[in-house]
Amino acid sequence: MRVPALIALLMGAFSTLGLAEATRQPLLTGESLPRLPQRLVEMGLQAVKAPDWLVSLGGFATAAATVVGVFLTAFALLSLIERKTLARAQNRLGPNRAGIFGILQPVADGIKMLTKEDIVPTKAEWFLHLLAPVLIVIPSILALGVIPYGREWLPVPLELGLVFFFAVGTMTEVAVFIAGWASGSKFPMLGAMRAISQMISYELPLIISALSVVMLSGTLSLSGIVAAQGGYHLGFIPAWNILTPWGFVAGVVFLIAANAESNRCPFDLPEGESEIVAGHMTEYSGFKYALFFMGEYLGLFAISGLGITLFLGGWQPPLPGLGFVPSWIWFFGKLAVVIFFFLWVRTTFPRIRIDQLMRFAWLCMIPIALLTVPVAALWQYSGKGALSWLLCSAILAIPFIIITVIFNRRLAPSIRQYHFAE
Amino acid sequence: MIPLLILSPLILLAALGAVWKARPVHAALLLALALAMVAVLYLTVGAEFIGLVQFMVYVGGVAILIVFALLITRPGDEAAEVARRPSSLVMGLACVAPVLGMLLYAISKGLPVEAAEGANPKLPVEALGRELFENSVPAVLAVGVLLTAVLIGAALFAREPANKPEPPASR
Repeated sequence: MRVPALIALLMGAFSTLGLAEATRQPLLTGESLPRLPQRLVEMGLQAVKAPDWLVSLGGFATAAATVVGVFLTAFALLSLIERKTLARAQNRLGPNRAGIFGILQPVADGIKMLTKEDIVPTKAEWFLHLLAPVLIVIPSILALGVIPYGREWLPVPLELGLVFFFAVGTMTEVAVFIAGWASGSKFPMLGAMRAISQMISYELPLIISALSVVMLSGTLSLSGIVAAQGGYHLGFIPAWNILTPWGFVAGVVFLIAANAESNRCPFDLPEGESEIVAGHMTEYSGFKYALFFMGEYLGLFAISGLGITLFLGGWQPPLPGLGFVPSWIWFFGKLAVVIFFFLWVRTTFPRIRIDQLMRFAWLCMIPIALLTVPVAALWQYSGKGALSWLLCSAILAIPFIIITVIFNRRLAPSIRQYHFAE
Repeated sequence: MIPLLILSPLILLAALGAVWKARPVHAALLLALALAMVAVLYLTVGAEFIGLVQFMVYVGGVAILIVFALLITRPGDEAAEVARRPSSLVMGLACVAPVLGMLLYAISKGLPVEAAEGANPKLPVEALGRELFENSVPAVLAVGVLLTAVLIGAALFAREPANKPEPPASR
């Protein structure tokens, strides 16, 4: 009696295994959780015998909707976390009336923004005035689409992901200009001029510091760059780019430039509220104003995600034994750390002056960023050992010290002499 | 073929608008739009790298520089007036004629049929890079020297004169 039952059980187990082997991909694992909506839509469309292009279109649309949904939620949360963090740094409470710990504050803000009156100044060009906030959100969302969030979660696997990221990023400048010009007012104009000059200046170090990563990874695809950072030195030090001499310098340059690109404090001159009201956003109200903020925060997520991909190993776990945790959790953990760093910088540093800003970009950031490119080549061809560590660090450190000394002695802002306001 | 038929009239319209619009900022924005649509055209035929670089260089670089120059100099209506002078017309024609001639010459030679039909024109970036930096190095270097010269010239123009009187309010 027992034997047939045992055989039946074994056969059942084998057939289950065979089924799992045949389908290859279980529907729901931790790794593929973010892709569940996309696969459900694709399966549903296939079930109703939809044509192939419709299936892939539906899949892509759902993948895009997933990314947008995740990051809009993150944007809402961040707007609260930022206010709470700023409040903690300033020794006050921050929003604490709407829900526990002010958790409903983003909802309240959203309702406020939606129900506010939408004012278009009489001197504004209404179409361009409307176009600008839309144009400022689009590139941020497009840029979020090419970042590899996990081993399986890559919304748009693009061969030229990095080029795409920077190409759509340039649209922001056009949008800021349109916003500043179409408002037909002085402060937006000044803010747009500041914003564009700042973005052009800091785009250079941003792209140059990404260049060395591309050089050593040998690919422009972001998933390829993450894959190139897999593995561990000495069994436990992750092979991330930030942990090499050139990568550390390029990563710091990238971090500063990213901070400036997303117009955040201490580089928030374009919207410095104590100087030029709100810069290019001055003449906007209601939901258009909210769209500017949405674009700014989504852009912050995108550029932090790119920095993580380029320098912090993307979704690679920080220690060898941690591969069982879904990779996108590592990505979002790193994202949280980077974003918190940005918040910390914002609470710590005062806003700098426009001439200091430009001087810093052109005389300090760009030379150092340029230097990382040949040093990365040297690193590649000098064996990546202890000797090349010393050599590369020295080559990077000496010009840095020289630049810093010059910067401090000759170019540092002297105390202003006020002739009338004493 | 269909994207070409949809996009080319739009590109033409935007380009014509860039020429006809009286306000310089409108013209600059329409020019940016036309250049962006040319980038989309490249993307639709599979030339992804060229399309993205077109977008980055022309929309993000050239158009922004034009717009920025407009912001700094703030040309008013006199710009439109300058554009209506006969000498401007002659200058414009002199600039357009060689380009138009080259285009017409290329079209008169005819397109290579087998390249236009069917064949996937997808070019891997690596092949493009090898072509640029192995076979065409002199051209790339020449362009680099040219751009450096332009940069130095721009810096010379932008440099403040040495003996400028001190402004009264701040340093």
